[in-house]
Amino acid sequence: MDELVGQFLLEGRELLQQATEDLLALERDPRDAARLAEAFRAVHTLKGSTGLFDLAPMGRALHAAEDVLAALRAGTRQPDAAGFAVLLRCLAACAAWLEAFASHGALPEGASAESAALVAALLRATPEAAVDWVAPLLAGAAPAVAAARAAGQRVVALRYVPRPDCFFLGDDPMALARDVPGLLALELRDQQDWAALGDDPYRCNLVLEMLSTAAPEELRRLFRFVADQVEVLEPAVAPAATAPDAAAAPTTLRVEAARVDTLVELVGELTVAKNALAHLVAGAAAGTPAAQALAAEQLALDGLVGRLHRAAMALRLTPLRRVFRRFPLLVRDMAAQLGKQVAFTLEGDQLEADRVVVDGLAEPLLHLLRNALDHGIEAPAQRLAAGKPAAGTLVLAARQQGEQLLVTLADDGAGLDPARLRRLARERGVLGAAELAGLDDAASRELIFLPGFSTAAAVTEISGRGVGMQAVRAAVRALGGQVSVASTLGQGTLFTLALPLSVSLTTVVTVGAGGEVHGVPLAAVVETLTLPAARILPLGAGEAFAWRDRTLPLLRLDALLGGVAAPRCGTARLLVVQAGGQLLGLEVDAVLRRLELAMRPPSGLLARMPGLLGTGLQGDGRVLLVLNLEELLA
Amino acid sequence: MSVLHEGGMLRLLGNCPVEDAEALMAGLRAAPDCPVDLAAAGALHAAVVQVLIALRPRLLNQPEDGFARAWVLPAVRRAVAHHSVTT
Repeated sequence: MDELVGQFLLEGRELLQQATEDLLALERDPRDAARLAEAFRAVHTLKGSTGLFDLAPMGRALHAAEDVLAALRAGTRQPDAAGFAVLLRCLAACAAWLEAFASHGALPEGASAESAALVAALLRATPEAAVDWVAPLLAGAAPAVAAARAAGQRVVALRYVPRPDCFFLGDDPMALARDVPGLLALELRDQQDWAALGDDPYRCNLVLEMLSTAAPEELRRLFRFVADQVEVLEPAVAPAATAPDAAAAPTTLRVEAARVDTLVELVGELTVAKNALAHLVAGAAAGTPAAQALAAEQLALDGLVGRLHRAAMALRLTPLRRVFRRFPLLVRDMAAQLGKQVAFTLEGDQLEADRVVVDGLAEPLLHLLRNALDHGIEAPAQRLAAGKPAAGTLVLAARQQGEQLLVTLADDGAGLDPARLRRLARERGVLGAAELAGLDDAASRELIFLPGFSTAAAVTEISGRGVGMQAVRAAVRALGGQVSVASTLGQGTLFTLALPLSVSLTTVVTVGAGGEVHGVPLAAVVETLTLPAARILPLGAGEAFAWRDRTLPLLRLDALLGGVAAPRCGTARLLVVQAGGQLLGLEVDAVLRRLELAMRPPSGLLARMPGLLGTGLQGDGRVLLVLNLEELLA
Repeated sequence: MSVLHEGGMLRLLGNCPVEDAEALMAGLRAAPDCPVDLAAAGALHAAVVQVLIALRPRLLNQPEDGFARAWVLPAVRRAVAHHSVTT
């Protein structure tokens, strides 16, 4: 693709995203001048760039949006919900156009008409009547306004256009002006040219414009008898005109993701080479001065490669915000579409994780959000009947726990009904009656992750067709994570996604079994132990052992891998592992060592081998098969 | 009656209610170059104020009334300046 186009698309998406976020924030707090300035800048910049391409309709829409934002900044336009809605609609159209341009190199048919409709709507959002009285008023009283704002006072503008016959009604506009508290400015203007007054001094031709530190409601109360002739508004605070502090701003460099990936891959190879060296050092004649020097150098190299690895991985770290930032708008739209009310909060979106993890979260989270709005949060009437506030709450939060990233989505909706889930699973043939009978409530909630399951009473446009939760689990697992659900009937549902912060290097424990060496992800290993054979007890058809006051089942890895279990000598080496939410013992011939691996997903023939998580190169150049315990033990 | 024609000038005396607008206008129509002395002026009715703006007499002295002095007279001067530029 043309480099210029690529750059434009990249920036365009970012600018639109930025402006959308700003407008959403302004919807909540219309007085946030910094956000307003930022939105204006984003739209202005994007409008400028559209001129480089054949995107005239998009340019026209952005130009109109820029005008509205400029009017809001100047204070000549009162921010209101309708205005923001039109602006958001305009940005959404531009985003769609941008994607059309990305895939077809041109705007879709009908873009011109759509643009014209948007421009018209944006013009309506800035009525002529309101144009240009606040800005000159503020400018004329700039020092007083600045002083008031510096003192933390509000500045409210009031425009009073008395009826021409007001004098006959006994009104004295000047007496009203005298009573305005906290007056900062008074300007007198004409309704029609002063010549029009002629010889009739009793036809009021005055317009009174004022700035005051009083609250709008106080001013409205004062002018309540002439309310139809008065406009009161609170202009946004213009941001302090400070030059951007170049020294303080972090310098950023835009680098293509592929280049970072190459670097990370090379560091991975270097790690492999380092492991090979360690292998050689260990094999070198111990005790000789050369071996000692080699060992010392190897240790130093080990540390450096570790640091390099961390630095390279840090390049791939991306804030969750990158994906989360889209959600407020999506939730707002989906809720409106479903007739639900919801207060949506984001927490922890500044946390960083590997780009692959962050990007991979978008789809599953979107699905969970849709589900929460569709099936979790009830309709307002239903909520009120249940004694809940009409608006539901939905909280998407991220936090770091050790090497893991925990992303939770909590709603205060209807919750999952285990009995209903069991009934639906039976009706839909997801599981047999006998299997279902054995499920407790927690296990029943997990039914939603099974293929072919959907709790939608009617399949709606939003929640799709029951492949959803299964797809969510698959997507999270593909990132090396887990998804779980907790719920209280009538009170809400909590989904927890536990993900690795980084995906590229996996620490494994190598074990010998059946004459082969295999890797087990360290994350799954709780403990390694050596147990006298006498402590292993038969349990039904299998075996078990006591561990920390619990009895754990014991499985033999060689048997699991399709071999024959070798006879046991006096002691057994085993790993206590966690798989599928269960603790169990895994007996091996030997526990060898810990290894960091640049693991690749299994490919080719290996892809069809069950129980395989991936492959990695060992120090001696041999391929290590890393086991997927969950699958192996299933 | 608080508009007084005296010594070649129109003097506004005390509070000027709505009726004074007519007297002020009549006085200024009769002698367009006659300045208006505000030294003794109190509160000015809006009708009086708009006559001062429309007919642009030369304004002398500061009104006695605080509000008229601090806010109304400067606003009148700005309005007159603006309207002289545009006409």
